[in-house]
Amino acid sequence: MAVRETPGFRTALAAAVAGGLLLAGPAAPGVTKAAAAASSTGTSSGKTLRVAMDGSGVDTLNPFTSFFNGALDIFGSIYPTLTSIDDSGAPKPYLATSWTLSDDHLTWTFKLRDGLKWSDGKPLTAADAAWTLHLIMTNDVAATANGTLVAGFDTVTAPDATTLVIKTKKPKSNVTYSSIPFSGIPIVPKHIWESQVAGLKDFKNDSFPVVGYGPWILTDYKNGQYAKLDANKSFVLGAPKYDHLIEQIYKETDAAVAALKSGQLDYISGVNATEYASLQHVDGVQTAQAVGHGWVGLELNPGAKTRTGKPIGTGNPALHDPVLRRAIALSIDKKTLVTKVLNGQGQVAEGYLPPAWPQWSWQPAPGKKQSYDPVAANKLLDDAGYKRGPGGTRTDPKTGKPLNLRLGIHSDDSADAAISRYLVGWLKVVGINAKIQAMSMSALNSDLGKGNWDMLMDAWTTGPDPTYQLGIQSCSTLPKDDGTGGNTDSFFCDPAYDKLFAKQATLFDPAERAKAVGQMQEILYEADVDLMFYNATTKIAASSKVGGLITGKPNADGFYPAQQTFWSYLKATPASAGASASSSGGGSTGLWLGIAGAVIVLGAGVAVVRRRAGADDRE
Amino acid sequence: MSSRPALAEPQTAEAAGTQAKARTGRRPLRLPRPGYLVSKLAAAVVSFAVTLVIGFSLFNLMPADPVRTMTRGRPVSEAELLRLRVQLGLDKPVWERFLDFVNDTLHGNLGYSWEYQQSVASLTMDRLGPTLLLMGTSFAISVVLGLWLGLRSGWRAGSLFDRITSATALTLWSVPTFWLGMILLIVFSVGVGPFHGFLPTAGMSDPTLPQTGMTHYLDVAKHLILPALTMVLVVYAQYVTIMRSSIIEEIGSPYLLTARAKGLMDAAVRRKHALPNALLPSVTMIFMHLGTLISGAVTVEAIFSWPGLGDLTFAALKIPDLPLLQGTFIVFSASVIIMNLLADLAYRFLDPRVRDQ
Repeated sequence: MAVRETPGFRTALAAAVAGGLLLAGPAAPGVTKAAAAASSTGTSSGKTLRVAMDGSGVDTLNPFTSFFNGALDIFGSIYPTLTSIDDSGAPKPYLATSWTLSDDHLTWTFKLRDGLKWSDGKPLTAADAAWTLHLIMTNDVAATANGTLVAGFDTVTAPDATTLVIKTKKPKSNVTYSSIPFSGIPIVPKHIWESQVAGLKDFKNDSFPVVGYGPWILTDYKNGQYAKLDANKSFVLGAPKYDHLIEQIYKETDAAVAALKSGQLDYISGVNATEYASLQHVDGVQTAQAVGHGWVGLELNPGAKTRTGKPIGTGNPALHDPVLRRAIALSIDKKTLVTKVLNGQGQVAEGYLPPAWPQWSWQPAPGKKQSYDPVAANKLLDDAGYKRGPGGTRTDPKTGKPLNLRLGIHSDDSADAAISRYLVGWLKVVGINAKIQAMSMSALNSDLGKGNWDMLMDAWTTGPDPTYQLGIQSCSTLPKDDGTGGNTDSFFCDPAYDKLFAKQATLFDPAERAKAVGQMQEILYEADVDLMFYNATTKIAASSKVGGLITGKPNADGFYPAQQTFWSYLKATPASAGASASSSGGGSTGLWLGIAGAVIVLGAGVAVVRRRAGADDRE
Repeated sequence: MSSRPALAEPQTAEAAGTQAKARTGRRPLRLPRPGYLVSKLAAAVVSFAVTLVIGFSLFNLMPADPVRTMTRGRPVSEAELLRLRVQLGLDKPVWERFLDFVNDTLHGNLGYSWEYQQSVASLTMDRLGPTLLLMGTSFAISVVLGLWLGLRSGWRAGSLFDRITSATALTLWSVPTFWLGMILLIVFSVGVGPFHGFLPTAGMSDPTLPQTGMTHYLDVAKHLILPALTMVLVVYAQYVTIMRSSIIEEIGSPYLLTARAKGLMDAAVRRKHALPNALLPSVTMIFMHLGTLISGAVTVEAIFSWPGLGDLTFAALKIPDLPLLQGTFIVFSASVIIMNLLADLAYRFLDPRVRDQ
């Protein structure tokens, strides 16, 4: 009566596996080859560059209301801007070939290229640029994402098709940064958008192909999946070498790395240190590091207050003391963080602005550098009366309470977790007890704005114009007494800093402006409110079949200049035509024949099992 | 239903009498009493109302600053932040937002996503298809595979087949989904040693291929293999273990001895008599599983960049995009409540003992 199905099942299974392998085996290499070919050589018509979209994805394709980097990358590819940015971060021609400033520093005149056409064939003129900027100046919805970039603009006019005149209310040194790829204002076609102004908030801009002008034309976008673009072969700054660009969404960079290894992807910007190390010796993959355009650091609550000086929040009052803040600064070994947390893939940070934009870089004067020195930190605290209590924790001489400080970190950031463990140890050495509180970014932001924090891990990335980044340290960004209206980054407030902030906005000589910006960074550095730890490099991995993706020359550390996707995608060059060029269709056929074969054999195996079972039952 | 006598093999004398009637087919199919239906529906409505309150409280009371998080890294002035707060309704007191939320829900309006700047309903509909495809496929395979293996294992508990099946299922059940998914991705997409990877790493279609027609369907199927396989491997064990333990409980029952004494083949005894009775606990699990289908599988969707609802909800949590979270929460909750209701009703049809209570 027993059903002896096991031997039969095993036989059938073995047959299925063997059969499947026999059939699928020959098919697999063909498919792999085809997949790799589809990656860098692509579809039936032309060559396709496949890149991993920025992890933030696309919130909306409406450039007036979009905040996410994935969308900004696309706008940089499909809409023109007045200027572009060179390797040093300085503005250079794009739509505008030249620009002049009036003697009173209030009127900018841009000369625009003649004869350009939107992708639907309509002429692209200064009127489009004037209309776009004017709309942002006068319409709240249009100002949602980029309103700050036209702050201080008085009028914008287009006297003729190739002249754009911007008049500002006060001298404004960063006008040439207002409309740059990615972080500036994209110019949109007036004839398409003027009919959308009434419903601008709800306009999705998803009629493909999207009418624009740039190196690429957006032909398709699937929410949560990919954006598909075709090359604009008549692009004025040079035709893309590829025919198509696909920005694929990867929720996990580990998966993107796997795709790169398998030849299904050509370019990833922003792999982490571990992934980068794993890719350095993989055949067919090239890697590079570009200097960082952001910083990671620690903010110390210097005493959160409103614009009128009313204290708010639950920050530990001990941190009001600059001596304590300096002692904390001296107790942190930034070099170890770069070595251990970043695997050496970055540089120790001192200045507030990152090395990606060298014109604003600042370093402390000799003898002013706050190097790791726990002995000096302890001495500072001893001299200031911070006595050690039981367990070695010091007490605040003003309140008599032990120095127990909260350390807020991002719960989803492995670097924060690693750094915080070092911090707790280093702070303990100088008698400070830090308690780690892991929170979501949103919760951290909420606490930050209310002043409910002692120490917070923070990170920022900055575009080539430092105005906004410098601005969030000014007194004017403190909240009002009712708690609203604040946009401060750390409740730092110093009138001397604010004075320099106002001054740099009126300096038109780049060297003079850089000097003022450097002085501002020095004030921040000496205040020990934003302790810069490091500037991590941007780690790039790409198929070795693609050339030209990485621009510039490496510095002494081997780091390339900051990479801009606008130029990277434009300059990317495919492998020679003979390298690989099979279509994916044949490969897929092979795969499916293999799978079909395996299914048939498996089905036969199951049938055998069932027959055996039936036979046993009949016994 | 009355033509399926094996669904209610008697285990007690009282039940035997009931089943005898059922087996003969003389007992007419009875619809649930109106009172029963009303009470179940009322319970479902109450559950839904409570869920609304919990959902709103959960998302609105957690500390967060959606506006600062959403605009992070962008040059947005304090005036623009304030305008955005007003535009999103964050300037209103919580109670007022709750009333708006209840009012919108009652009018079938799921809200407007802050992050994606479109209606939650349209976003949900966009992601529903991929979610149901992935979850439905893996669910169907898990149920069939799990029940089949559980039935075979339980019928001959302790055999080599049982030991292998149970050990494999429990091992896979214990494996972290993320780890398993990444291993499958590396093996089948990248390749290991001489074995070349041949499956896609991400998404549900290849943008370089046509997005319509048979080529597209085959392409989607190809993209579905790894995420569905991952889901099946971590889920099917539930059905194996439940069915296995159910069948072991049934295996010594007198009615099976009776069936064998009548001369029925072993396979027939198992399939026609043991299986229907052992199936009832699995039915509960199937309906519970059905209710959670549309919430997707966050981990699997993340690994394989599958554009599903789980991924959408997870992304919304980071901001947090409250309307989107609340909207998807309503949809997920309603799905579970409806499936539970259907499970209650289905039990009445599947098991005459419940029907007669």
